[in-house]
Amino acid sequence: MKWSVGTKITAGFSVALIVFVIVGMISYRSTTQLIGASDQRKHTYDVLGLLDDALSSLQDVETGQRGYLLVGDDSYLEPYQAGSDKLDQRLQEIKRLTVDNPRQQQRIDRLSTLVKERLASARETIELRRRGKADEALQIIKTGKDKSLMDEVRKAVSEIKNEEVELLAQRTEEARVNGSMTKWTIGIGTLVALSFAGLAGFVITRNIARPLRDLTTVAERITVGDLNLVVSTDGRSDEVGVLARTFDRMTQSLRTMATAAEKIANGDLRSTIEPQSPNDVLGNAFARMSDNLREQIRGLIEGANILGSAASEIVASTSQLASTATESATAVNETTTTVEEVRQTAELASQKAKYVADSAQKAAQTSVSGRKSAEDVALGMNRIRQQMEAIAESMVRLSEQSQTIGQIIATVEDLASQSNLLAVNAAIEAAKAGEHGKGFGVVAQEVKSLAEQSRQATNQVRTILSDIQKATTAAVMATEQGSKAVEAGERQTGSAGEAIQTLAANVSEAAQAATQIAASSQQQLVGTEQVAAAMESIKQASTQNVASAKQLESAARNVDDLGQRLKQIVAGYKA
Amino acid sequence: MLETGVEVLEFRLAEERYALESAYVQEVQPLKDLAPLPCTPSFVVGIVNVRGRIVPVLDLKTFLELPVKGLTDLHRIILVRGDDFEVGVLADVIVGVRSIPDDTLQPSLPTLTGVRDEYLKGVTAERLVILDLKRILTDPRIIVHDEVEG
Repeated sequence: MKWSVGTKITAGFSVALIVFVIVGMISYRSTTQLIGASDQRKHTYDVLGLLDDALSSLQDVETGQRGYLLVGDDSYLEPYQAGSDKLDQRLQEIKRLTVDNPRQQQRIDRLSTLVKERLASARETIELRRRGKADEALQIIKTGKDKSLMDEVRKAVSEIKNEEVELLAQRTEEARVNGSMTKWTIGIGTLVALSFAGLAGFVITRNIARPLRDLTTVAERITVGDLNLVVSTDGRSDEVGVLARTFDRMTQSLRTMATAAEKIANGDLRSTIEPQSPNDVLGNAFARMSDNLREQIRGLIEGANILGSAASEIVASTSQLASTATESATAVNETTTTVEEVRQTAELASQKAKYVADSAQKAAQTSVSGRKSAEDVALGMNRIRQQMEAIAESMVRLSEQSQTIGQIIATVEDLASQSNLLAVNAAIEAAKAGEHGKGFGVVAQEVKSLAEQSRQATNQVRTILSDIQKATTAAVMATEQGSKAVEAGERQTGSAGEAIQTLAANVSEAAQAATQIAASSQQQLVGTEQVAAAMESIKQASTQNVASAKQLESAARNVDDLGQRLKQIVAGYKA
Repeated sequence: MLETGVEVLEFRLAEERYALESAYVQEVQPLKDLAPLPCTPSFVVGIVNVRGRIVPVLDLKTFLELPVKGLTDLHRIILVRGDDFEVGVLADVIVGVRSIPDDTLQPSLPTLTGVRDEYLKGVTAERLVILDLKRILTDPRIIVHDEVEG
C-alpha cells in the first residue's frame, strides 16, 4: 500500500460517485424520453380534436346549406359561413402539427381537396338557390355528389385518426419500455454504487481506523503511565505509519525520562538529563527539577541538622511550656473563682442598685411631699412664733404677779414673826406673873403656835411661790429660748425649705443617676456574666492547653526523634 | 405642877440649843437700828435704843467660841435685866419659853471644857445648854476698860 490515507479515501469515494453520475445520466435521459412521449400524446390528442372540429365545421356548412336550400332564408347561412371560415384554418393547423409524418401530410392534402370540393358544391347550390333556381340546386343534390363527398371526407378523417391512434400506441409502448429500463438501471446502479461505497468504507476502516485504534490503546496506556510497550509500525509509509513511528519515539523519550525519574526516586541525583530540544518542556522541567532537587536536598540536609537541634530546643521549651501551662491553668482556676465571686458581687450590686433606684424614686416622691411639708412647717412656725409671743407676755405678767405675792408673803411672814415674838414676850410676862399668869401663858403659847403655824404656812407659801417663781423664771427663759428657737426654727425652716428644694432636685437627679446606675449595674452584671462565661471558657481552654502542652511535649519529642531519623534519611542521598 | 422646875427661854446660837432663865429675861425684840460702838471688845456688837433706853448688845458666839456669821434683820435680841445692869443678848432664833424639871438637869459634861464649862449652869437630856447669865455678866473679861486716845 503506497497510497496515502487521503488518496485511499478519494479513490474509494470517487468510484461510488462515478456510478452515481452514470445512474443519474441514465435517469435523466429516460425521464426526458418520458416527457417527450407525454408531449406526443398531447399532440396526438390535439390532432384528433382538430379533426373532430373540422368535421363538425363541415357538418355545420352542410346544415347551413340544407337549411338555406329548404327555406331560402339568409339566417340559415350563418352556420355555413362560420364553418367555412374555420375549416381552412383548422386544416392548416392539423398540417402544421403533423409536419413530421409524410404519410399523414398526404392524407391531409387529400382531405383538404375533398373539403374544397364539398365547399365548392355547397357554394354552387347556394348561389343557385339565391338566384331562385332551387330546382337546379335540388337536382344537383339529388345526384348524391354531396353525400359521396361527405363519405369520402369521413373516411379520410377516420384514416388520419387511425394513423394517429396507432402512432400513439407505438409511442406509449416505447415510453413504457424505456421507463422499465430506467427503473432497472436506477435500482442496479444504486446497488452498485452502495456496494462500492461500502467496500471503500470497509477498506478504509481496515487500513486506517484499526491502526489508529491500536495507537489509541497505546496512548491510553501511556496516559496511565505504562511505558513498557512496543508500537508496531508495519513499515507503512502513510500518515498512520508516520504517527506510529512518532508514537514510538515519544514512548522512548518518555522511557528515558522515566529511567531518570527512577534514579531520582532511588535518591541518585548525580545523573544529568539532556533535554531533547529547546522546546522539550518535560526534559527542561526534569533538568530543572533535578537541579532544584539537588539544591533542596542540600538545603534539606542543613535543614535536618538545624531541625534536629531546634527540635531539642523545642523539647526543652515545650517541657517548660507544659509546666507554665499547668501554672497558668491554676492561676486561671483562681481567676475563675474570683470572677465568679465578682459576678455574685455584681449581681448583689445590681440588686442593690435596683433597690437604690426604687428607693431613690420613692425618695424623689418623698422629697416632693417634703417640700410641701416644709412650706406647711414654715406656716406652722409662724403661728408658733405668734403663740410664743403671747405666752411670753403672759409669763411676764405672771412673773410680776409672783413678785407681788412675794411681797405679800414677806409682810405676812413679818407679821407672823412679830406675833411669835409677842407670844414669847407674853409667855415671859406670864412666867413672871407666876401662878396668876399661867392662863395667860397658855394663851401666849396658843398665840405662839398660831404664829408658828402662820410662819410655817407662809414658809410653805414661800416655798411654793419660790417654786412658782423658779418655774416662772424657767418658763420665761424657756419662752425666750422658745422664741429664739422659733425664730431660729423659722430661719431654719426657710433654709430647710430651700435645702429640701435643693434636696428634691438632687434626689431627682440622684434618682435618675440611680436608675442609670441600676441600668449600668445590670449591664455590668451582664458583662460580668459574660466575663464569667469567658473565664469558664478560658478555664476549659487552659485545661485543654495543659493537655495540649503535654501532647505538644510528646509531639516535640516525636519531632526530635523525627529530626534524628530525618538526618539518617538525608544521609542516604547522593547529591 | 407639884415638881419644882425652872422656866427658861430657849434659843439657838449657831445651830446649838441654848437657854437662859426666864427670870432674868425682860422681853424679846427684833434686832433693829443697831449702832456699832467703837472701842469695844469684839463680843460687844453695838448699842440699840429700846423705848428710850440705851442697851448694849452682846454676841455670845464670840464669847462661847462659836462661828460668827454676821448680823441680819432676822436676829433677835433678848433683853436681860440683872440687879444693876441691862444688856441685850443676840440670838439666831427664839424657840420659846419652856419649863425644865430639876431632876432632868444634869451637871456639866466632862467633855465641855474651858469657857463653856465656866458659864454653864446645866445640860438637859435633850442637850439643851442652860447658861448661867450672872456668871457671864460678872466675868471680868466683860468689863470694858479700853481707852481711846483721841
